[in-house]
Amino acid sequence: MSVPWVELDPTLVVVAAGTTAVGAVSGALGCFAYLRRQGLVGDVVSHSALLGVVGAFVIAYAVTGSASRSLTILVPGALITGTAALMLARSVSIRTRLNDDASLGVMLSIFFGGGLFLLRWVQRQSPPIAGHTGLEDYIFGMAAAMTRADLWMVLALGGGALTALLLMWKELKVFTFDPDFSRSLGLPSRLLDALMMALLVAGVVIGIQTVGVILMIALLVTPAAAARQWTSRLSTMSLLAAAFGALAGAGGALLSASEAGLPTGPVVVLLATAIFTGSILLAPRRGLIARARARRAMRDLPPSAAGGAS
Amino acid sequence: MIQRSSRQHPSEQLALDVEGLTVTYGNEPALWNADVRLVRGSLAAVVGPNGAGKSTLLKAALGVVPRVSGRVRVLGEDPARRRRLVAYVPQRASVDWDFPTTVLDVVLMGTYGRLGWFRRPGRKERALAVGALEQMEMADLAGRQISELSGGQQQRVFLARALVQDAEVYFMDEPFAGVDAVTEQSIASLLGHLAQRGKTILSVHHDLATVPRYFEHAVLLNRAVQAVGTVKEVFHRGNLDRLYGGRVPADVPELAST
Repeated sequence: MSVPWVELDPTLVVVAAGTTAVGAVSGALGCFAYLRRQGLVGDVVSHSALLGVVGAFVIAYAVTGSASRSLTILVPGALITGTAALMLARSVSIRTRLNDDASLGVMLSIFFGGGLFLLRWVQRQSPPIAGHTGLEDYIFGMAAAMTRADLWMVLALGGGALTALLLMWKELKVFTFDPDFSRSLGLPSRLLDALMMALLVAGVVIGIQTVGVILMIALLVTPAAAARQWTSRLSTMSLLAAAFGALAGAGGALLSASEAGLPTGPVVVLLATAIFTGSILLAPRRGLIARARARRAMRDLPPSAAGGAS
Repeated sequence: MIQRSSRQHPSEQLALDVEGLTVTYGNEPALWNADVRLVRGSLAAVVGPNGAGKSTLLKAALGVVPRVSGRVRVLGEDPARRRRLVAYVPQRASVDWDFPTTVLDVVLMGTYGRLGWFRRPGRKERALAVGALEQMEMADLAGRQISELSGGQQQRVFLARALVQDAEVYFMDEPFAGVDAVTEQSIASLLGHLAQRGKTILSVHHDLATVPRYFEHAVLLNRAVQAVGTVKEVFHRGNLDRLYGGRVPADVPELAST
């Protein structure tokens, strides 16, 4: 088997840079989603994005008469449907007796189902819309599809999200840890909540091309869960999750690119899962092995020394 | 100390002036037309049965939950405009103590209000936080991950965070809940010291037996305020029987008789 990326194929450089950025951004943002227990929210955004992607493709085709799968066109569509699904889920859970999880689940089904339906409709058009092939790659992801313009889109949106995160770090941190206290300080909780949602939507949407709408949630939550095992500081956790995400994203993109036609999403997820499994086994203090050892050490202590916990 | 003219409007001498505060959750009234007035240096317990709106009273006064009607003044000013007048100790169980952060970081959150947007805590804020931890006898645990704290230590971290806020009125939600006897004593003496320095404290308190020992004032609450005053005046069996529907254990000590 040849190792194509060693030759620094310019297309591959773009792809690797893009997926590294996607992994880093979603790793860092994923920490907040993880700590706020909003994994499902991220999943709703990514699944709902499919409808926006296909919808934007159709609208752009109808308006300009030529098909384009550029992220500059598809990402705004994904942002719109991803946000719309969240806002509808929220309004359903406020107005009805459905709880948050149920209304999120309903919106996920409606928007993802709608996306699949519209995709099939586009594929069945006759005469066929030139350039529609590749849209289906948004389901499981295809990093190799990334162009230079797509990379700029990813960097702009991801960079913007990370900048906002850094600027408002302390506000977002206190809001995540202790929302009541942050309100008592006069911090606007609706604004911070909306900002948190916007960051999550941005972080998810930039990843759907490479990782796909179904498995994007894994790149959001798994690096954060892995990083949590190694550290007890939010800043370190975010950096570590960004590194884990970048590693999984880049590795997945390069591996899938080397085997033609292999969707990127599953490879990225397998890598992220490997990092997570290693972390949960090996991490000091929180890791399973360390905890088993600590239990054994506790059991072997003489009774007089065992009770000093408080 | 600045002497204030006695001709000032009476509401300016009140540390806390809550008037007609009403809060609903859904269609249920959680707090009904509550009036609470406390002068500077008051040390007041909020007591009442479960679901009486004790936490809601604090949260509505702080603007943490929206109010349907009513007005709150702290030293004559709207606390929504002068946030530094108030400090808040939420219920200990209201946060996730497995959150990845340290004791010092939590206490530093008490400085976020005065720092304003975007600015990070610096050396000065760190010194304040360490000082507050020293006051709570927690300085040696500054670097400790918060998940490793005992209940009493968690409570002292929250109190240190409120001390850093250096406010005029302290709203505390069950600061004595789940702490050991030693911590209970040190929290009680902290409250006493704050009140002596002219700070005003409104604290939800569950243990009726210790109200007369730790507090000077009591707010008897069951959705509506049933009585406010000194412990001597209002904290007696007649009022408490009415407040709890006759379910106050007969052996609660130190209760003044009607």
